[in-house]
Amino acid sequence: MAPVRPSLWPDGVRSCVALAFDVDGPTGNAMLDGSIWRNPSFFTLGSYGPWRAVGYLLDLLAEYRIPATFFVPGWVLETWPAQIQAIVERGHDIGYHGYQHEAFWQLTRERQQEVMARSLALFRQHLDLTPTGFRTPSGDWGDDTIEVLLDAGVTWSSSMRGDDRPYFIEHAKSGRSLVEIPGRWELDDYASLAYQRSPDFPAGLDRIAPYDTTLDNWRREFDGSHRDGLCMTTLFHPKVSGKPGRILLIERLLQHMRAADGVWFATCGEVAQWWRSTHADDAAAA
Amino acid sequence: MVAQHPRGRRGRGMTTLPRSAPRWPHGKRMAVVVSVDFLDAHAITTQEPRMVGREKSLSVWQYGARRGVDRLLQVFGELELAASWFVAGRVALEHRTLVQRIHQAGHEIGNASFACEDFDHLGLAQQHDSLRSAQAALRDATGEAPVGFRAPFGNWAPGFTQHLREAGIAWSSSWRGDDRPYFHPPAGASSVPLIEVPLHYELEDEPYFTFNLYPPVPVGQPRIASYREVLANWRQDFAGFHRLGLCMPLRIHPEILGTAGRIDLLRELLATIRSQGDVWIATGRELAQWWRSQHTGNEPGHPVDLLAPLQQASHIS
Repeated sequence: MAPVRPSLWPDGVRSCVALAFDVDGPTGNAMLDGSIWRNPSFFTLGSYGPWRAVGYLLDLLAEYRIPATFFVPGWVLETWPAQIQAIVERGHDIGYHGYQHEAFWQLTRERQQEVMARSLALFRQHLDLTPTGFRTPSGDWGDDTIEVLLDAGVTWSSSMRGDDRPYFIEHAKSGRSLVEIPGRWELDDYASLAYQRSPDFPAGLDRIAPYDTTLDNWRREFDGSHRDGLCMTTLFHPKVSGKPGRILLIERLLQHMRAADGVWFATCGEVAQWWRSTHADDAAAA
Repeated sequence: MVAQHPRGRRGRGMTTLPRSAPRWPHGKRMAVVVSVDFLDAHAITTQEPRMVGREKSLSVWQYGARRGVDRLLQVFGELELAASWFVAGRVALEHRTLVQRIHQAGHEIGNASFACEDFDHLGLAQQHDSLRSAQAALRDATGEAPVGFRAPFGNWAPGFTQHLREAGIAWSSSWRGDDRPYFHPPAGASSVPLIEVPLHYELEDEPYFTFNLYPPVPVGQPRIASYREVLANWRQDFAGFHRLGLCMPLRIHPEILGTAGRIDLLRELLATIRSQGDVWIATGRELAQWWRSQHTGNEPGHPVDLLAPLQQASHIS
């Protein structure tokens, strides 16, 4: 495909990269059902992300001067506030990601509202900020989630998979909309590198993929997105790809992307703002 | 928003250690611990009870005692390297002379429980029994009580660390969550220090290579990983631990890596590690001694220090 013309991006550059990390730490199903408190191996495995890997990633991003977006469950923020404060101090964006990585599509409207309110209180308390973006934990949300998010002041999301550029998600009843910045499983490090026992992931205990073929996949994902003039985001997890041997993969991916001409490296918030400012008519018409 | 760069650029080739890097003895840049799980077929029969009575399948795991241990000993001998072997108590009874040979070759013998019981399904008292029985069997076989411990499936109940201390255990390599050793709480002057050397799945041979057709191991019957690619992954993991100056624990099995076809993966990986010249290859016992001499506790907010209060808050103790 030829690149989208005219360019979708500021100053007519060719493509956009909105690097993003989900700092889940040990949150998720095992914390929600309480089993993690009998599973110290699994608790410590997950904790590695906020405890160590975030720091390594921040150094790497500073070295390559690339902004990123970090989606942080409220529980992770209140547990390791200094590590998450460092993300903000280094100039990156922070988005909502549940309190303990709740699956929003399984929650009542009231519970979703509680999770958003509790997270907001923690973001204000520890970071003195009000996030505008949201990535739904576990990827799915319910029919009422859009309204919950809009009512909570969220203006953009990076939750879906079905496109390769941003688009508007409308709330028909009120005429309000979210900018959606969709990701892809191919750029989720769980699909290639995550591995754990009890609870098992992958479910069938498939092997950890080779690092060099994983990097080759990621580079090709960028090459295609760049060639076609699109927007690429990632679902990287510090506990998975921020580990000592794997951070080299991210570094080589950053080198590869930095070597291309005409890439706008932006936070998801910047992308959403840009999209809204340049597609105001779409938003109104959709 | 534009990223800030208060710390400037690090050198290409990453020769500059981050400020947070720990110190290692003799001016070395990083530490490597080679650990071997010698469990015979006990761990697999716990993990997959349908294995019991299946001679062919069991023989996959029994290959370790028959051939794999000697092959590992040969490589360690070539490199004059001391490893930490975690041996199940029953293995010390069933393969006494082999365990004695490992010990006499200068390796550390650690406690891997008595019969590789799944501690997730045992109460604290039963876990304690397993620890004590193994400690007795290993002391009887080698004449020396182990000071290292590995929980066969990674977990233990709250309160078990106190049993470990009372049994004379000075270090464990069972949990995860860091890339350098840490103290199990309570740390500090009033407590016997218990050091953890945390594991990483990507530095273990079992996730890549374990295989049995039926009963299926792993459960989803994935292909055996590419040897060449696994070696490349391990070399890259080593490069990452090396540039950040960390503690890299290998966890291998005689029946998995001690085969004729795979032993060269270990040889080549250890050759890469040795070729750096600034790597401290230590046993877990030596590593724990060093850590205790340099530190009195963990950095604030360490996951292991958060866990006990969180367990108590969840009424698990």
